[in-house]
Amino acid sequence: MDIKIEKQDNKTIVVLNGRVDTTNADQFQQDMEPLMEGENPDIEIDCTDMSYTSSQGLRIFLMLQKSVNARKGKMVLRNMNPQVKEVFDITGFSNIITIM
Amino acid sequence: MKKRFNPIKDKSSEIIEYLMSSPDIPDDEALRFKLRLSIEEAVENVVRYAYDGGIGWLEAEIRFDQDTLVLTIELRDAGVPFNPLERDEPDVTLSAEDRNIGGLGIFICKKMMDDIKYCYEEGNNVLIMTKKVG
Repeated sequence: MDIKIEKQDNKTIVVLNGRVDTTNADQFQQDMEPLMEGENPDIEIDCTDMSYTSSQGLRIFLMLQKSVNARKGKMVLRNMNPQVKEVFDITGFSNIITIM
Repeated sequence: MKKRFNPIKDKSSEIIEYLMSSPDIPDDEALRFKLRLSIEEAVENVVRYAYDGGIGWLEAEIRFDQDTLVLTIELRDAGVPFNPLERDEPDVTLSAEDRNIGGLGIFICKKMMDDIKYCYEEGNNVLIMTKKVG
């Protein structure tokens, strides 16, 4: 998986490419940890090229959402493919994370 | 096809790729996604929790019944006896603040596969997941 992080105005843009799975979840978490603190909590995640996530990835999206909520920010996941979206749907994550 | 992995510490990826390399899995992207996800969740459960420190074996088997078109994935280990199907299902209606990730893996398997069975047999945990393909 490839992760790009870019600061834009007051928000952070994250672009994910590839599979989020057991082989790279720890790295993904480490890369996301700086986004879980600070004064600009808003995050936009481009999921266009995220081809897969397991519960290992969901765990990190949940951590991000909790940290964003705690700082009264907003997180949006954009352009998720239908298969990945189904994983968010069946686990109820679509109800707690904004997917556009 | 069947293979025993020993030890399994840090071997999740190898075990998943072994099962996904089966020529019996059709070249159907949506189906492969569901199988990979179920396999990853089930294998991770064994690798992380079956043995103290991951020192132990896991036997992974995938087979296909030409008559019924049912694909079967069987995982066997000699770790701590544990029936993942008896775990409480996660409450998928909770808010982000109240959610945690526990039990989500096997819940995903149940949703993605047609059927999952567990038994404890001759000192082994046996998890059998099936899905009709084609």
